[in-house]
Amino acid sequence: MEVAFFATLRAIVGAKRVEIDLPGDARVGELVDALVARWPDLKELLRDESGGLSRRVHVFLDGRSVRWLPEGEATSLEGVESVDVFPAVAGG
Amino acid sequence: MELATFGRDIVHVDLTRGRCERRPAPREWVEKYVGARGLGVRYVLEAGPSVDPLSPDNVLCFLNGPLTGSEASMSGRWACVTKSPLTGTVTDSHQGGWTGARLRWAGLDGLVFSGRAETPVYAFVEDGEVTLRDASALWGRGIHETVKILQERHGGKDVSVCAIGPAGENRVRFAAWLNEDDRAFGRGGTGAVGGSKNLKAIVVRAAKRKSRVGDPDAWKAARRRALDAIRDEANITSPKKGGLSVYGTNVLMNVTNKIGALGTRNSRTTSFGESAELISGEYVQENLLVDDPTCHACPVACKKEVEIREGPWAGLRMESVEYEPAWSLGANCDNADVASVAKLIDQCNDHGMDPIELGNALSMYMEASERGWTNGEPLVWGDAAAMVAMTDAIAHREGVGDLLAEGPARAAASLGHPEIAMAVKGQAVPAYDPRGMKGMGLGYATSNRGACHLRAYVAAAELGVVPIEADPLEWRGKGELVKTFQDLHAFSDSLDLCKFSAFAEGAEHYAEQYALALGRACDAAEVLAAGERIYNLERHYNNLAGFGAGSDSLPARFTEEPSTEAGSRGHVSELGEMLAEYYAARGWEAGVVPEAKLRSLGIV
Repeated sequence: MEVAFFATLRAIVGAKRVEIDLPGDARVGELVDALVARWPDLKELLRDESGGLSRRVHVFLDGRSVRWLPEGEATSLEGVESVDVFPAVAGG
Repeated sequence: MELATFGRDIVHVDLTRGRCERRPAPREWVEKYVGARGLGVRYVLEAGPSVDPLSPDNVLCFLNGPLTGSEASMSGRWACVTKSPLTGTVTDSHQGGWTGARLRWAGLDGLVFSGRAETPVYAFVEDGEVTLRDASALWGRGIHETVKILQERHGGKDVSVCAIGPAGENRVRFAAWLNEDDRAFGRGGTGAVGGSKNLKAIVVRAAKRKSRVGDPDAWKAARRRALDAIRDEANITSPKKGGLSVYGTNVLMNVTNKIGALGTRNSRTTSFGESAELISGEYVQENLLVDDPTCHACPVACKKEVEIREGPWAGLRMESVEYEPAWSLGANCDNADVASVAKLIDQCNDHGMDPIELGNALSMYMEASERGWTNGEPLVWGDAAAMVAMTDAIAHREGVGDLLAEGPARAAASLGHPEIAMAVKGQAVPAYDPRGMKGMGLGYATSNRGACHLRAYVAAAELGVVPIEADPLEWRGKGELVKTFQDLHAFSDSLDLCKFSAFAEGAEHYAEQYALALGRACDAAEVLAAGERIYNLERHYNNLAGFGAGSDSLPARFTEEPSTEAGSRGHVSELGEMLAEYYAARGWEAGVVPEAKLRSLGIV
């Protein structure tokens, strides 16, 4: 699965897009764990103290933040066309 | 510099008679409306709601807040408040940079201009005195040249210049004031009011001065707590680490694009696709960035100075490719050429124009051209060279430029198609499509100065950068959320602290610093209460000026044409439902503040 990174996360990952190998029935939580395993520096950004998805990062599936999906990290990645990972950002 | 005396040192400049008179603001006004934005609105109300904005009777207020120029972090802001020639509402706009701070160091809290000078003048401020000087030789010159001439004339060191350009002189309805070449009182056409008064510039000469407060240790500790919040690596303001500090405001481009909230081609769609990356903060940082300048007392340094190295504008060095103009002159005009976006922004900085309004005027005219609704001189989507030429024509009101200088709302109405102007109360929309960010849409509709992202800025909640998070596609709950954010920002705009301080600080930080600066009590509840009073004062003014039922609206494109892009596909703005929630939270009746509410807030 291709995952796109943005803003300050690009410096950690060293690329704008990366390919992540996941089983066909993978869910968001497994994707996050795979990212942390490959780039340990992402752990403090992606995971909060209780092991949940941190507020400091948004994982978007086809433009919707996982935070707003009913199943959260348990959401299946099957059929998802784009995965984008952003640090929390704003401006104006 | 005694912070507790704020409001005492205001100079009223009668341009018709050439008189400058120091008159303190009434204590009651300062107590109720804090300073900067709130105090300015009270002055504008005093001038009367039926004033023609471009007549000598309008007042043009340049006001600091109680914290402007102090050691408080992000306190380099001051406000310009007047009746807008674009909207007919009261309007306020805020600049960063150094001019507001320098005015404070020069011993003044504000300048209130009225009347009209017979010939062009500029105001020179030093040691608490204001004098009017001849600006005839500056009239017609761009802002960059005006700043250079006046800085050289007045010694350069410790001198700030805030000026209008040809757009203001020609009363372009979205003309702006800029200081330090590129920090703008951008919105609402304040520059046209300056032009109507023959006021070319304000020059302030003053060296930095330290604040004095009643309890210096507590003041230092309070400022430290606020600074620690700004520096916290969990916040986007964290210097050199947070997204806002590293990339500037344009760090937003890719995320709004991904969630289907980036209006494209005059907001006909909600995503710029892969092209968004080419005008994003990430792209600018990687390819064009040369410096990170900052404003007074700001560790964030969100300004990004860039240099164009190739193409027709090679050699151009400017700041800043901000999110708003990168959107308005980029995605919204189907223009993915970031060099031309930088050129267009620099034109706005030199002519003195609001790039949000400009971009919307151009995109509206591009749509009109495509549909065959113009009378010659068509403009093609993404034609950067033609956009640059049209921008010059607008500033000088030449040809079609004269039509577009009226702003997209008036221009579209003149073309017989008001529905293609993406505007609220006559002011064009900013860079968050209301179909993909429902709260931002409600914020646009209920803003007291016309469509505006900054009055509420619930994007902070809808993008999840503050503890109060809100699903951008959910309309329920947005009424109360928008009200709370509007009230908080009405207060911070009156202090006057940078809007972005709210990404790290909360009402408690504001209350603590305000209380210690003024030597009075204040808590978070009072911050929100004062903000609510200021917001209602603005609304009361607008009601008196003829805005009421139906004025809080959105273009039908946002409420009737569903988004077709990922992230927001199928969504429209549920404005009616949100407005019902909002009015209930405000205690308003169809957009009007009832008499009883005005009394309970102490406004009448």
